[in-house]
Amino acid sequence: MIRHLFKLIWNKKKAHALLMVEIWASFMVLFGLTTLIVVNVRNYSQPLGFAYQNVWAIELNNNQDTMAVAEKAKAIFQRLKSYSDVESVSRMSNNFPFSANTMNNMVEHNKARTLAHQYVTDENFARTLAMPVLEGSWYRRADRVGKYKPVVINQKAREELFGDENPLGGIISDNFKVTGVVGNFKAKGEFMANQPAMFELLDEDSSWDKTMLVRVKPGTDAIFEARLVKDITSMANGWSVEVDHLTDSRQNQHNLTLVPVIIFLIISSFLLINVGLGLFGVLNLSIARRRGEIGLRRALGATGNGISTQFIGEIWVLATFGLLIGLLFAMQFPLLNVFDLEAGVYLTAIVMSVIVIYVIVTLCALFPSRQAAQIQPAVALHEE
Amino acid sequence: MLTNYIKIAWKVLLRHPFYTFITLFGISLTLTVLMVLTSFLDHLFGSHYPETRRNRTLYIQHLLQMDSTRSSRQAGPMSFRFLTDYAKSMKTPERVTICSFFNSSNAYVGSHKIKLNTKFTDAEFWRVTEFEFLEGKPYNEQNIANSDNVAVITDDFKRQYFENTDESVIGKDVEIENIHYRVIGVVRGSSYTRLFTYADVYFPYTVPKSNYQDPGMRGNYVAMVLAKDKADLKPIQDEFQSNIGRIPLPGVQNGFKYAVLEVKSEPYVENFLSMILGGGPGLKTIFFGVIAFIMFMLMGLPAINLVNVNVSRIMERASEIGIRKAFGAPVRTLLWQFIVENIFITFIGGAIALVLTLIIIQLINRSGWIAYADLTINFSVFLVSILVCLVFGLLSGVAPALRMSKLNIADALKAN
Repeated sequence: MIRHLFKLIWNKKKAHALLMVEIWASFMVLFGLTTLIVVNVRNYSQPLGFAYQNVWAIELNNNQDTMAVAEKAKAIFQRLKSYSDVESVSRMSNNFPFSANTMNNMVEHNKARTLAHQYVTDENFARTLAMPVLEGSWYRRADRVGKYKPVVINQKAREELFGDENPLGGIISDNFKVTGVVGNFKAKGEFMANQPAMFELLDEDSSWDKTMLVRVKPGTDAIFEARLVKDITSMANGWSVEVDHLTDSRQNQHNLTLVPVIIFLIISSFLLINVGLGLFGVLNLSIARRRGEIGLRRALGATGNGISTQFIGEIWVLATFGLLIGLLFAMQFPLLNVFDLEAGVYLTAIVMSVIVIYVIVTLCALFPSRQAAQIQPAVALHEE
Repeated sequence: MLTNYIKIAWKVLLRHPFYTFITLFGISLTLTVLMVLTSFLDHLFGSHYPETRRNRTLYIQHLLQMDSTRSSRQAGPMSFRFLTDYAKSMKTPERVTICSFFNSSNAYVGSHKIKLNTKFTDAEFWRVTEFEFLEGKPYNEQNIANSDNVAVITDDFKRQYFENTDESVIGKDVEIENIHYRVIGVVRGSSYTRLFTYADVYFPYTVPKSNYQDPGMRGNYVAMVLAKDKADLKPIQDEFQSNIGRIPLPGVQNGFKYAVLEVKSEPYVENFLSMILGGGPGLKTIFFGVIAFIMFMLMGLPAINLVNVNVSRIMERASEIGIRKAFGAPVRTLLWQFIVENIFITFIGGAIALVLTLIIIQLINRSGWIAYADLTINFSVFLVSILVCLVFGLLSGVAPALRMSKLNIADALKAN
């Protein structure tokens, strides 16, 4: 049966070439879309690693004021701690969670190297973001001894750098000594891939790294925020202050990912509907033209089911040809490791696209083949 | 003759509404996507409010410093002083304005928080751009010389900050980060896709926190250079490059030794592309390659689909073709007829697409998805769409027509 179907399609390969090209092109579009979706769903399913609700990021900029910058920053930090609405304050570098800034560096341990996101934070960071420390403990000021700066790494960095080794007390890049390990830290939001991260102890006397993360009590409103800004600007004349609620910046980061995906999704689904309709039309016409053949087969004893199976089988064979060409292209992505994505992502995407294409062609063939099955041999042969 | 073909095409369309629907669905949908896309690109790159003279403006946005081995680099916008020395000093341009990129800030009214973007500009800014002043006027050189704490705000910010929006707010006071500014003008806002002119509040560069005294080369400022006419763009670019060439190399900036220094004055599109791609000719080719591939898929897939449907349907008209051939119609005439028919159908699809596009554009403009969006179908967008229509018609018309022309007269007539 299958060999017979292949022969049928092969004999009319010229007439079917365009249909195959169409299926190939649809597969390529679908493959792009599913890859994008699989990547994002995979990332989204990994936990964020910290709690952002009720956390504000206060960005300070000293502008032209160069007098006693570090002292003023310290004073502002103490001031923030004294408010009754504030639960916890942490000072950090300007790449706070969900911000547009990133900082990464190549770090190494023994022979293992990895590109890690680097965050300069103080001893209150884990508490402010409600981030559990899985092994060891978050560094304290007292941990800074000798030539080593205390650092905390995340689970991903630990895997890349230490493998099965115990990371606690391990030395990274001849400079840093690990005091603790946290779980995930996806600073750009749920859609970010889980990447290695390293937190190093902040130097209180530096005039950089003046972003304050503040965890406020639930229900704290803009009146408090206005007072906070007023107090800070009166403490440090000429400085600019910007208050970001992490919930808002998270939304921004999400939109950056979601908007292109949604646009792509809408355009692709219209393209596929279009292809589906066209396929339906073509099949409808070609079955109408083969009434004589169908009548003859019915007269020779073929059942209605047999007839519709034949037509669906034909379109499946056709789709398989198109998909094989598509697979030739699609398989290059996992083989050549394009865009640095895991092979699993591409394979899932390929399987999903193949299934969707088969579903579409089956749906398109269903109605015309049902009609073909109902053709009465007498009527069809009489017409002939 | 042409009207005859069109009449035939119309009759064919009416014969099978289902196939007509498939055809028109494909055409109008594809054209809609393309038209919305072109109109969005036009919104992004074209000369529109308030940068209405963008076609004769050069943008200076990016300063790149590299060390002699090209292993480390620093890049970004420039300081006010750098632009004053090397851009503002040019002789050829009509006007040069220096303004900052926008900075985010917050303002508070009672228990209400307003997120806003501020921008520091010079007085020329208001002459290079063509903002519509709803109230008041822009600040001028006098305000800047006096270091007045004045501000020009947008209508949107006015609505959020002042409770009674009907009244004029000129001379009133706005407080941003503990500093009081006097409102001197209200403009109709510009969309945030216009990176160089977008802000909620505009300040003269002499107000506090603008950092215009910064002695370094890099900072937060960019420049727009307005040429007298388009032909002057090239001489201005040359003059700017010769100004930049005066900077002694190698030099030291904040402890960073640089041996290479690059600043470009470019038209908006090039500037935008080099900004998102970070320069490099290879990347640009890839970018255009990807765009071309997307366009090809977007047009190719529906076109192949239409060819498929048309090729199958042409057999319905075998008898008509057979008779015309038997009466001596040459293949070229028949080809021509089918192409005309296809273009006719494409234009009907195009008309539907135009209506759909208008609806979608209205929806986008009103949704607030892009603030102050002013997507329009203007003449250039419309021309592009017509062109696309023609390509589409030819693309889906030629293959079936060729197929048909090969039809044997005897076979065609027998099929009836």
